[in-house]
Amino acid sequence: MSKKQAKVIKKPQLIQWRLKVVIGFILFLFSALVVRAAYIQVVEPDKLRHESDMRTLRTTSNQVQRGLITDRNGDMLAVSVPVKAVWADPKEVHKFDGFKDMRRWKALADVLHEPEQTLLDRVKDPKKRYVYLKRQVTPAVAEYIRQLKIPGIRLKDESRRYYPAGEITAQLIGLTNIDDVGIEGIEKNYNDWLTGTPTKQKVRKSRDGHVVERLSTVQQGEKPNDLVLSIDQRIQQLAYREIKKATELNQAAWGSIVVLDVHTGEVLAMATSPSYNPNSREHLQSFRMRNRAITDSFEPGSTIKPFVVASALQDGYAKADEIISTSPGWMRVGGRQVRDSHNNGNLSLAKILAKSSNVGISKLSLSMPVEKLLDKYYSLGLGNYTGIDLPGEAPGMIRESHRWSDFERATLSFGYGLTANTLQLARMYATLGNGGKLLPVSILKLTKPPEGTQVFSPKVAKDVMYMLQGVTEAGGTARQAHINGYPVAGKTGTSRKAVAGGYGDDYVSLFAGVAPVNNPRLAIAVVVNAPEGDRYYGGVVSGPVFAKVMSGALQLLNVEPISKAEQVKLAAMERSFD
Amino acid sequence: MAKSSLSLPRIIVQDMWSHKWLLLLSFVVFANAVAVVYTSYVSRQLTTKWDQQLQQRDKLDIEWRNLLLEEQSLADSSRITRIATKELDMTRPLPSEEVVVKIP
Repeated sequence: MSKKQAKVIKKPQLIQWRLKVVIGFILFLFSALVVRAAYIQVVEPDKLRHESDMRTLRTTSNQVQRGLITDRNGDMLAVSVPVKAVWADPKEVHKFDGFKDMRRWKALADVLHEPEQTLLDRVKDPKKRYVYLKRQVTPAVAEYIRQLKIPGIRLKDESRRYYPAGEITAQLIGLTNIDDVGIEGIEKNYNDWLTGTPTKQKVRKSRDGHVVERLSTVQQGEKPNDLVLSIDQRIQQLAYREIKKATELNQAAWGSIVVLDVHTGEVLAMATSPSYNPNSREHLQSFRMRNRAITDSFEPGSTIKPFVVASALQDGYAKADEIISTSPGWMRVGGRQVRDSHNNGNLSLAKILAKSSNVGISKLSLSMPVEKLLDKYYSLGLGNYTGIDLPGEAPGMIRESHRWSDFERATLSFGYGLTANTLQLARMYATLGNGGKLLPVSILKLTKPPEGTQVFSPKVAKDVMYMLQGVTEAGGTARQAHINGYPVAGKTGTSRKAVAGGYGDDYVSLFAGVAPVNNPRLAIAVVVNAPEGDRYYGGVVSGPVFAKVMSGALQLLNVEPISKAEQVKLAAMERSFD
Repeated sequence: MAKSSLSLPRIIVQDMWSHKWLLLLSFVVFANAVAVVYTSYVSRQLTTKWDQQLQQRDKLDIEWRNLLLEEQSLADSSRITRIATKELDMTRPLPSEEVVVKIP
């Protein structure tokens, strides 16, 4: 039995408890994993998400450059170029032992052109967190500094404004400060238009710094706008060169010139001398930064006379062929004297303008009510803003009075007792050239000519222009302003500068005019303030500037010179007023 | 005991066949998952490329600005006038000597 029993083959038997232990162990492991996974993903996912975001989420912002300023033909007048600011975090410099390798500081000092000690002094205080070491360094220098790898020294994007035209347009365009905010001229007035804001975006970056996901826009940026001025850089350059020459030659306090397009009221050039270089600001003198063409007003003197004639013609107080006696070269008005340089005898209106006779124009003025004349002065834009969008305009003024003495009425007709700026003067002459229609002036390029107001009838404006031709011809006061090929309707002016209690010894030399008479295109006003020496007459000082700029500008604009036949016709028109 | 007619592979195949729709669906789910992964990979790459293009644009803009400045100083009309008058002995004709040709 026992033997047999021993022979029984034992069936293989499962050892149940082992199996259970193993299964139990595996199940436990799996459930542990599941629980852990569930814990991470469901119960508390935020912490890991946060950790991940810390490593990958970044906010980027693009650098926005200030808008360009160009002239009417697309020539650049102001361009922004990105540069870098070098700044230091002194706390970090100290923390990471930034002074370990002094050779690097030496190199940094050399490339920034600053004494090493100054730089070290700036980062001395470990409590500070932000110190500028140098602003507006070029990208090449910035790259060099980046490679110096001094701990705590960082670079920041900023931009630098360049003015390729330099001093030629300096007062007009103005300046930006180091933080790219316009502080003068057009830069100031159009600051918001020119300035853009960067777009800030939340992005996810991969380990090697590539953007792999754009998540959201934190702040929608605004694109900067460009500005197209009405200025024609070629004419501006010419105008500046000539006014500078005249100011220096006559040792004048300042000179200014404005060139207007008579049909659109656009300012083609506006220059002031002395000027400054806006690209290098170390020696900036504030008096050079004034845009004298609009900020400084003066008594217009004889340049106002054509408008007295025009007013008299318009309102019927004189006929075009009127003859006025100016003998004996002076006259007594209300106990005071009005005088000419010499006795001119009987003069036509054209000759009164050509000889610039104070007596003649006073008689004309006294023959009409003073309100009529003042009314015309106001409608020509005197004593009021021109509407040009530039900071600091001084609109000048017209003396207000309830009772005008005869002498005051006389002086009003030869440009005393009222003040105007260069732009206003040019605008008045542009009105003559535009058939008597006064246009608002614009410093921005216009797409269509603006609405104007008719001050004189086209006939009167034409007649006065024909009369004014005599000024630049033989026997006139400004032969120097004559241009061969382009007939000029212009007028000189030499006004004494008012000082406290009367008039002083300084003069303002003026010339303003329109050309060509047969087909008016440009109006120019030239003002030279306080020329030294004996040569102070408007025709001598300002006349040549006018002639050079006018003929050059008309040539640049491809205006056809007058033909022989037309010349004969014009001369006949002019003679008809004698 | 069972005979050879009951082979395991056969049973498996039969079983799969009876659940063929379920099987298909699970396959679709898997393919879908792979597609999601692939698409997000491609989209990341495209985003990276886009970003690089934007940077490229900024770089070109900077270059353009510097070239503008260079062009401006080279094409400066006073410089051209100087070269024309001094080096090339040119003069500007007087207005009276000028003939304007009009193109009809």
